[in-house]
Amino acid sequence: MRFVAQVFFAYGVVLVLGALWRFTPFERSMPDVVALSAVYLGLRARTQVAPAMTAAVVIGYLADLLMGAPRGMLATIAGILCLTGHFVQGRIIVRGRVVAGVFSFVVTLISGLLALGLRSAFGLSSGPVGSALWTLFLSAILTGVMGPWYFRLCRLIDARFARTQRERDEALEGHP
Amino acid sequence: MTLKRRILDYTLAGILLLLPLVIFRASVRDPGDLTAFDRAVLRLSSPLQAVVGWVVDGVGGTWSRYVWLVDVEEENRELREENEKLRMQASVAMRRATDTQQLEDLLLLKRRAEAETIGARVIASSVNEFLRVTRIKLDRTGSEVDVGMPVVDSRGLVGVVRRAFGNYSDVMLVSDADSEISVVIPRNGARGDLYGLGLEDSYRCKLRVDKRSGPVEVGDVVVTKDLGAFPGGIEVGVVSSVSDTNYHWYQEAEVAPVVDFGSLSRVMVVLSPPPPPDPDGDEPAPAKSAYRVGSF
Repeated sequence: MRFVAQVFFAYGVVLVLGALWRFTPFERSMPDVVALSAVYLGLRARTQVAPAMTAAVVIGYLADLLMGAPRGMLATIAGILCLTGHFVQGRIIVRGRVVAGVFSFVVTLISGLLALGLRSAFGLSSGPVGSALWTLFLSAILTGVMGPWYFRLCRLIDARFARTQRERDEALEGHP
Repeated sequence: MTLKRRILDYTLAGILLLLPLVIFRASVRDPGDLTAFDRAVLRLSSPLQAVVGWVVDGVGGTWSRYVWLVDVEEENRELREENEKLRMQASVAMRRATDTQQLEDLLLLKRRAEAETIGARVIASSVNEFLRVTRIKLDRTGSEVDVGMPVVDSRGLVGVVRRAFGNYSDVMLVSDADSEISVVIPRNGARGDLYGLGLEDSYRCKLRVDKRSGPVEVGDVVVTKDLGAFPGGIEVGVVSSVSDTNYHWYQEAEVAPVVDFGSLSRVMVVLSPPPPPDPDGDEPAPAKSAYRVGSF
């Protein structure tokens, strides 16, 4: 149920951001909610990664549909990021706003580069490279600002589904 | 976690990674192909996004219209200045357009008319309570203009030259109390005379028609009579009301001139009438002017 709640939460954020973002001056640069969700699920997957990856892939697929991206593109990237988060969760402690912000910034850069790579591998044009990289950079900054708050909300959802007080505390502190 | 379970877990992860990749590849080949699930998600999401957008529009609109008014005064001032500038430009453009239209109308009239004409511009109007006189400046120098010559614009007869001096002339309008013109009603051929009334509040004229010529009706067009010295058929006015006195020889009516004397700017002076046809080669009899000028 935790994963279902995370999927619905991410879907809601993508839906609202998609409707709201046209009112901001940032145009195409947008926080990468899919990358944040996927990497968070991976960080929280201590023993089994398959359920987290399922949720991440579903989030990615829904984002593909909502954002008009080729179906499967963000789902693939979400899967890769979730797996990456799972592998680094024992080596990096993502706690505190600054660390969470920097981590979100880096994850978004990786996500964007993966997207560019996938598109060029399958023959899809992304426009001028300079413009794409600049958009990616701005997105990464926006995601870095939003990341700490987004992770906190995800932890609250996990805490809501915790079975014991210890699990709840671990969820709130960001322990895997 | 046992090794077997770990292998199973990573195998599932691998499948979950390959599956979207396959879907992506298929989607690149055929982007428009949507499954039932895709359509359901999109159908559910679109109205939700529309509602969110509507709410944000409303909140944002309320905020910008009623709360965030910091730049409104400056913007208002700039808009007022620009509005004023554009109004002036529009006014100038309209004036030019009117002048251009009048010039085009006069040019058409000049091309149609067989008479020799000279263009002129209205430069002043008389505010004398007894006279309806307009001063004009000729477009070219010369002493061709003489007293008694008719003055027209694209709509019809304006009046007659009352005084000529250099490049300037004074024109007595058809509505002046001294004005008297021989006219005809094309509808029934009725002949008569048109007199200016010299009224303070309007340019109306009086028409007197010989009752034997035929009745006058409201709406009848009145044109100049061709008497040789003056081109006939120039529109003078339209009958606006008729009074009938059974005890007189004449039927009287009021005529509203077709020319808008209030907006006169470009006119033409008819220098000489068109030469009458000469089938026998004999000299034509001198023609009587259709336009008689009162004593002045």
